[in-house]
Amino acid sequence: MLQPKLKSKVRCTDLDIGEVTRVVLDPLSHEISHIVVSMNGSGERQVAMGHVQDVTDDAVQLRTRSADILSLPPFKREDYVTTHEVEISHLEDNIHVTPGEVLVPLPDLEKDVKRRTFFMNFTHVIGFLIGLPIAYPILRFLMQPMYADFDNQWLKVGNVSKIKQEDVGVQFKYKKAVKEVYMPVYEIEKNVWILRATPELLERVYQGKDSEFRDARGKAIWTNKKEVPYIAFSGKCPHLGCGFKWRQHKTLGQVFLCPCHLSIYDAGGKVLDGPAPRSLDALPIKVSAGGEVEIIDMEFKAGTKSQIRIV
Amino acid sequence: MNSKHSSSAAIPDHQPSTTEKVIAFLDERLGLKEMQAKMLNEPIPGGSRWAYVFGSVLLFIFIMQAVTGTLLMFYYVPTADHAYDSTQYIIHNVDYGWFLLSYHFWGSSAMVVCVFAHMSQVFLWGAYKKPRELLWLVGLALFGIVITFGFTGYLLPWDQRAFWATLVGVEILDKTPVIGDFIARFLKGGATPGQMTLSRFFVLHVMILPAALMALAGLHLFLFRVAAPAGPFRGTKEEIKAKTDYFFPRQIWKDIVGMAFVFVGICALALWEPVVLLDKATPDPGEYHPEPEWYFLFYFQLLRLKLFAGQFGQFLGAVALPVAFMVLLVALPFIDKDPERNIFKRPIALITWIAIMVVIALFTVAAVINREFLD
Repeated sequence: MLQPKLKSKVRCTDLDIGEVTRVVLDPLSHEISHIVVSMNGSGERQVAMGHVQDVTDDAVQLRTRSADILSLPPFKREDYVTTHEVEISHLEDNIHVTPGEVLVPLPDLEKDVKRRTFFMNFTHVIGFLIGLPIAYPILRFLMQPMYADFDNQWLKVGNVSKIKQEDVGVQFKYKKAVKEVYMPVYEIEKNVWILRATPELLERVYQGKDSEFRDARGKAIWTNKKEVPYIAFSGKCPHLGCGFKWRQHKTLGQVFLCPCHLSIYDAGGKVLDGPAPRSLDALPIKVSAGGEVEIIDMEFKAGTKSQIRIV
Repeated sequence: MNSKHSSSAAIPDHQPSTTEKVIAFLDERLGLKEMQAKMLNEPIPGGSRWAYVFGSVLLFIFIMQAVTGTLLMFYYVPTADHAYDSTQYIIHNVDYGWFLLSYHFWGSSAMVVCVFAHMSQVFLWGAYKKPRELLWLVGLALFGIVITFGFTGYLLPWDQRAFWATLVGVEILDKTPVIGDFIARFLKGGATPGQMTLSRFFVLHVMILPAALMALAGLHLFLFRVAAPAGPFRGTKEEIKAKTDYFFPRQIWKDIVGMAFVFVGICALALWEPVVLLDKATPDPGEYHPEPEWYFLFYFQLLRLKLFAGQFGQFLGAVALPVAFMVLLVALPFIDKDPERNIFKRPIALITWIAIMVVIALFTVAAVINREFLD
């Protein structure tokens, strides 16, 4: 590519006509498309690179006669912006119009510094050493409330006299006092589904075995006896944790239905339809002689095939 | 080359006014005029278009979200015992509180819609291709941030809608193999949603995400300017050059009209459908049927499919599907190296896009239809 330089003399086939005052770049190709020539006092002309025959260090040779150049319309500066005033990346990359490199001397103190790479790496190492000791405290700081012991206390949720029919899900709402970190104790509402089961349903749920509950260390805390006719299901759907309801289904009869992702369970908690990966979660339940129901409010991870207790 | 200041060194034909002197003072020290010129003189290959307004509109929406969000924080308290009451106070007691809150709420929907339009456009125009791969990648990160903004902001009013959307959303993240339980507990600050969850979502929503969005949006713009706009996929170099104009004035005019249109749209939604809270958050849903925000409805419906049943199915639906989708989007400019940008000559791209649109539309409609069978 021809690289006409600023201040170069411009020669036509017959005579010198002036010098290069500016160059014009094509914004698409990023190449010089024109030179602007000051015509020794007769204004400026814009000359396409097609007219340029040859470029030397200090001169531009055109293949045109001077009269042809002079007859071109005057150069209109207002039709252009400078390369500083326009956002075209890499515009000047392949243009070398300035006469040589522009240099700035190094300060004296920088002249004999040998180990620049060493100093650069050393800077990184020190930065890393500053970051390293705070990474662990930050992680622990953020993790502090993540894991807590299980709460195995019994909660009163109501009286079984509320249950009128066997094998029908009845929702018991209860309030649970929560003490979370620095917050004052506050009450949240929760619910549990309790059924008075027929012997057939009990057999289906327990399959002849008592159901034992253990704490985090594996110590037994309660056993639901297979002959006690009351079953409590955690109100949390084992699919993704929504709250399910007891509903009449068109073909399946009375079922537990979760309105979120439409998991359907029978009265014994078994999955009949929908995406749930396991049966409803039975909770420890005890019923006093007067019919007062108490449960241990456990929560299990949703979405897993096996029960994983989280609360 | 031209001297830097030649363009501004015109001979004054009158005594400069005080304003002009102040501007000249600043310009001499900061180079403002040159900077302004560079900002405005960005060639748009093939000329300005209405189709190009989405980037600017997104920036506008974000600024308005920052303004309205900051205002809401003057009254909002991010604690489990006051978040709900303070939000109700904003809605019912603070002058124009209902409007600013509703604007912020609908602004987030507008953001999702425009991100969606912006991404579709880049995909269909083939503008993610070389040399704009990095621009596309940063754009995907911004997409993730916008979605996370919506998800974290949803919890803050601490009503039933907020609580259940968060609970289910975090359970979905919990399905990630190995680290899922950690991520879920980390986000919730415990085993169940509570004060720690609210604190964490609040910090994410008002500090971390805005900082990340500003940094990445800046990078996005920088990369856009370095790579230059892609321009139309039809036309010869000469035709495109003949129609090329600068960012100012025609494109900026179109952008500002687009912003005005979106502003009026969000205001109208805020007026007609102002935010109404449900009951205060509690782990008993009562008669409420949990549902995510409308732009997540298709995914909500998707998770109801038998295909995604059981533990493995849940892994497929909750983790594998979205991750695979994002990985595909990330890999897109590196898989699709064909320089052809015309969408009508890229049948696979066109069919894929249409298929995704159809799935989203169908599943959204299905989710809406399903509502009435639940009551």
